[in-house]
Amino acid sequence: MIQTENLTKQYNGFTAVKDLNLKVEKGDIYGFLGPNGAGKTTTIMMLLGLVRPSSGKVYLLGEELNPRNVDVKRKIGVVSENQYFYREMTAREYLEFFASIYRVPGVSDRIDELFKAVGLFNHQNKKIGAYSKGMQQKLAFARALLHDPELLILDEPVANLDPTSIKQLRDLIEEENRLGRTIFVSSHLLSEVEKLCKKVGIIHQGRLLAEDDMSTIKRRLSDTVVLTVEVDKEAAPHLEAVRDLPFVQTVETTSNIFTVTLEADRDYRSDLSRALFESGCVILSMKTKEMSLEEAFMTITQQNISLLTAQEDKS
Amino acid sequence: MSNRGGVVKTLFKRDFVYTFYSWGFYVVLFAAFMISSFILKNFLDGIREEDILVSAYPLNYPLFISVIVISIYLVMLSGVSISREREHGTLEVLFYGPVTAGNFLISKYFKDLCLGIIALAFCAVYFYLVSLTTNLGFTAGLVRALVMGVFMISCVVCFGLFISSLTGRTRSSVLVLLAILGGFLALQFVHAALIGMEREALSTPMLYLRETVSHLFRGINWVSPFAFLNRGLDAVVLDSPLLFGLNIFYAVVYSVIFLILSIISMSLKGVKA
Repeated sequence: MIQTENLTKQYNGFTAVKDLNLKVEKGDIYGFLGPNGAGKTTTIMMLLGLVRPSSGKVYLLGEELNPRNVDVKRKIGVVSENQYFYREMTAREYLEFFASIYRVPGVSDRIDELFKAVGLFNHQNKKIGAYSKGMQQKLAFARALLHDPELLILDEPVANLDPTSIKQLRDLIEEENRLGRTIFVSSHLLSEVEKLCKKVGIIHQGRLLAEDDMSTIKRRLSDTVVLTVEVDKEAAPHLEAVRDLPFVQTVETTSNIFTVTLEADRDYRSDLSRALFESGCVILSMKTKEMSLEEAFMTITQQNISLLTAQEDKS
Repeated sequence: MSNRGGVVKTLFKRDFVYTFYSWGFYVVLFAAFMISSFILKNFLDGIREEDILVSAYPLNYPLFISVIVISIYLVMLSGVSISREREHGTLEVLFYGPVTAGNFLISKYFKDLCLGIIALAFCAVYFYLVSLTTNLGFTAGLVRALVMGVFMISCVVCFGLFISSLTGRTRSSVLVLLAILGGFLALQFVHAALIGMEREALSTPMLYLRETVSHLFRGINWVSPFAFLNRGLDAVVLDSPLLFGLNIFYAVVYSVIFLILSIISMSLKGVKA
């Protein structure tokens, strides 16, 4: 469905995307994960032929990308990060306009069906300018699905949405995938990609750091666990007692709080509790710190560097 | 209708309806007719006082002024048409689908040209009514001037679209257009002033400047859409079918060249502001 070969984009000496090799199979929900500024939107713009790559190739639906080949574009639906509309139109007029551009048969029924699916049926005759952000995002989904595309490209599809709308759109994406549509989701939200996607590519500073099944990626990200432990006294004097434990990788103290990085091969929380108790501390709370996306990228990056170093040592 | 034709028609329809039902179009027509009426009144006062008709085509000059006013509106309208969609992001959304730079620009061109033709149709009605009330005569020359006006408007629209294809924001388009048109006007003024001076009275550097300005002026005569307007009206006044035909031919060539340049520049600049 989507394949890129050494896709690169440079802007005035700055490399936005470097040697990107993606492969999205038919029927996938592919998560394209990366922090803001990682090169996700540039990649999507190149996939759509709206930004000319500096080098490399893009294949969409089995054909090499040619921005003038509008037949391929008719099979793609896109929801962008920012929503742009003709705000003076009503939502229904807007969909009718795009239906005419895509030459959608049975327009009226199709539009009704989509308004019902995204929950805007009762607001279809309102001017888009009066729509909330969430409603606009839903309308963008309806527009993207209007012509029954084979491939859906979603750039940060749930950013700025309330939890109910996120759930609604997530269900819609899953339903569309069940109907056979291939879905490419770009996001900086690890949790969102985790809930939706079967396969994930992680991009950071324009480079694809990892591309694998979600489960494999999760394993790679969970080599360590970070705990914050609050005790009843100043933590610093008890630092040695924790640092000497064999499963502890790093430990930091602030006031009465320890921040401890542990190996994740098994659950060491009881061992840590015992060590702190023996050192004379009473534990007030112990929390597992969720790995932030930045930390996840750092982990993956470190793993890649280690892998490269190991390969160089071998050769 | 082919897929591309269908896309052009859809884009044209949305844009045309939006502009046609906006007040701007009618304000400009009203302004054009007010200025023409003022000129006509002065002209009629002159006839009354001097008892002499000084022109074979008395309605052509007011018509020319109306066309100028309509052209200024259309050059601004076309001059912001692409940059506004770029700035608002709507261009990007259109290009996700089967819209290309070519069919987008053609739809904009026909939309502005149609508005121009409608404005000229209003002019025809207005001047017909004027001819009935003043007995000045709705001449064949006036009809020719109206026909020429369509081609001149085509040049103006293509020039505006070209400027818009180069710029990312509405404000930049307006500023660039004003700067270029102001530059053309300033050059015309300097040229007229230098040509008006006696050659013997000019120092060597001034002579050199006059020659340079003359060359520039000749070049700009083929770039400025308003110069085409001027030449077109001259062709009508001179009543020369050859000049009339040549001006229409030049206008068509000019429009095609600027449309192609606009498509190229739009493709190179992309959809982002």
